[in-house]
Amino acid sequence: MVEGTPEYFSVLWWQVLLGGVSTLAIFSFLYRENPIYRIFEHVFIGIATGYTTIATVRFFLWPEVFKPLLGLDRVRYPDGTFDAPYNELNLLYLLPMSFGLLFYCILTKRHKWLAQLVIGCQLGAAGGLAFKGTFTELLPQVFDSFRSFYVPGSVTDSLTNIFFVVTLLCSLAYFFFTFKRSPGGAVELSSTTGRWLMMGCFGAFFGSTIMARMALLVERLEFLINDWTPIFFQ
Amino acid sequence: MSIPIAEQHSLPSRLADRLERINRRAIYLFVAVSLSLPIIADVQMKPAPMATARALYEAVNALNPEDGKIVLIAADWGPGTMAENRPQTALAIEHLMRKRQPFALISIYTLAVPFLEEVPNTIKRRLEVEMPGQTWEYGRDWVNLGYRPGGIIMIQRLAKAENLHEALKTDANETPIAQIPMMRSVKTAKDISMLMQFTGLVGVFNYWLQFFPGPTFVHGCTSITIPEAFIYYSSKQIVGFFEGLAGAAYYETILDEAYPGRSGESLALATNTGLAFAQLVVLGFIVLGNAGVLLRKVMRS
Repeated sequence: MVEGTPEYFSVLWWQVLLGGVSTLAIFSFLYRENPIYRIFEHVFIGIATGYTTIATVRFFLWPEVFKPLLGLDRVRYPDGTFDAPYNELNLLYLLPMSFGLLFYCILTKRHKWLAQLVIGCQLGAAGGLAFKGTFTELLPQVFDSFRSFYVPGSVTDSLTNIFFVVTLLCSLAYFFFTFKRSPGGAVELSSTTGRWLMMGCFGAFFGSTIMARMALLVERLEFLINDWTPIFFQ
Repeated sequence: MSIPIAEQHSLPSRLADRLERINRRAIYLFVAVSLSLPIIADVQMKPAPMATARALYEAVNALNPEDGKIVLIAADWGPGTMAENRPQTALAIEHLMRKRQPFALISIYTLAVPFLEEVPNTIKRRLEVEMPGQTWEYGRDWVNLGYRPGGIIMIQRLAKAENLHEALKTDANETPIAQIPMMRSVKTAKDISMLMQFTGLVGVFNYWLQFFPGPTFVHGCTSITIPEAFIYYSSKQIVGFFEGLAGAAYYETILDEAYPGRSGESLALATNTGLAFAQLVVLGFIVLGNAGVLLRKVMRS
C-alpha cells in the first residue's frame, strides 16, 4: 500500500511502475503461456533466492556468528580500546560451525558419510522437537473432546457437543481397520457416516481455498487500481 | 446411450455444450471485474458478524497497558499472503496503539522484514492525523525486534530466556534492548501478556503454539486455514482469531463502532466487499456448469 501518489520519476514512482508491470506480466499467463510471463517468473525466483541468501548473512551469520567471533560486537572507543575484553569462549562457535560445514561433504563420493553425521544429528533434533511439540499441541485437543452431552440451560450447546462427539467418533472409525467390517454393522455404518462428514469438511477447505486465492487477486487489483494507475495521471 | 445427430444440433444441446465448456478466460475476466468494481466505486458492505474476531477484540480490550507487560506480535508473513495478513496485523496494531498498549514485532520469516517497519509506521501516521496533538513513538509504544532466524530453536530460546535483554541483544536497528524504554521492565516471557501470531505459512503457527506457552494466544490466518484454526479455537488454545480477510473486515467494523472518530482509508472492508461479489460470480458459474451437466443428463434420459 503506497501512501499518496509518488512524484514523476522518483524512486517510489519507478518502484510502483515496476510492481504494476510485473503483476501484469505474471497475470498474462491467465490468457496463455508466453515469454514475458516466463521472464518475470525467472526474475521472481532469482530475486527470492538472492534475498534469502542476503537475509541469512545479514540477519544471522554476521550478527550472531561472525561479529562475536571476531570481537566486533564490542564498543570501540576513539583511543582504540574496547568496552570489554574479547571473550575467548566465542571461539567455541568454531566447533559447531565446523561440524555443520561437514554437510558439504555430500558433494564428494569418498567423504559423503561425514555429511550423514550432520543429517543424522538434524533428524534427531527435529524428531525430539516434533515429539515434544505434538504432545503440547494435541493434548489440549484430546481433553477438549471430553464433552458433556447435556449443558444445563443451553440446548444449542448440548446439540453442538453431541454433533462434535459423533463426528469425532465416526471420523476415527473411518480410519479404524482392526475389526472386520460386516455390511450394515456398527463399524461400517459409523465409518460411512465419518466419510460423509469428512467430505463436508473437505468442502469447507475447498471453499476457503477459493476465498484465499481470490484474496490474493483482490490485493493485486487494489494495487493496480489505487496505486499503479494514478502514477500515470497526476 | 448415444444422442441422435439431429438432437446434437438442437438448441438445448448447444446450450448444454456452451454451459459445460465456458471459456476459462471469461471466468477470469468476470472474477476480475467483480473484484475490481467495489474498489473503483468505493462500495463497502458490512461483513457478517464473527464470534472469533469479536473474541479477539474482547481479549485485546481486556489488556491492561499499565501492568508493564507487552504484547508480542509474530508477523510471520510476506508478500505471498499480505492480502490477508497485512490488514489483520494493521488492525491489531491500530487497536493496540489506540489502547496505548506497548507491543513488540518479531518474525521468523525473512520476507516479513520490510513490513515489520512499514505497518506500525503507517498506523502511527494515520492515528496522528486523526488525533492531532497525540504522538506514538518508537521505543515507547512499540519496538521492532526484526527477523530472527532459527525457527523453533529461536522460539524456545525466547520462551525459556531468563533475561530477554541478553537473549535478544538488540532490536532491528541494532539498539540494545536494555536501552529501549518500553523493554526495561520486560525480562522474561512472563512479561508478555499476549502473543499475536499472523501467518499463512504451513507449520509456523504450530511452532509458536507448541513452543511458546504462557501468554494469551490470538491468531490471524489466511482463508485456507480457517477450518483448521477452529480446532484450536474450540479447544481454547487460541482465544480468538481473524478468519482471513473477512475476519479483518469484521474487526474493522468493531473498531469503527468502538472509536466513532476513526478516519482514513479502509484497511479491509473494501477488499472484503470485492471478495463477496467475486464469490457470487463463482457461485453463478458453478450453477451454470451444473445446469449444463443436468441438461445433458435430461436430454440423454
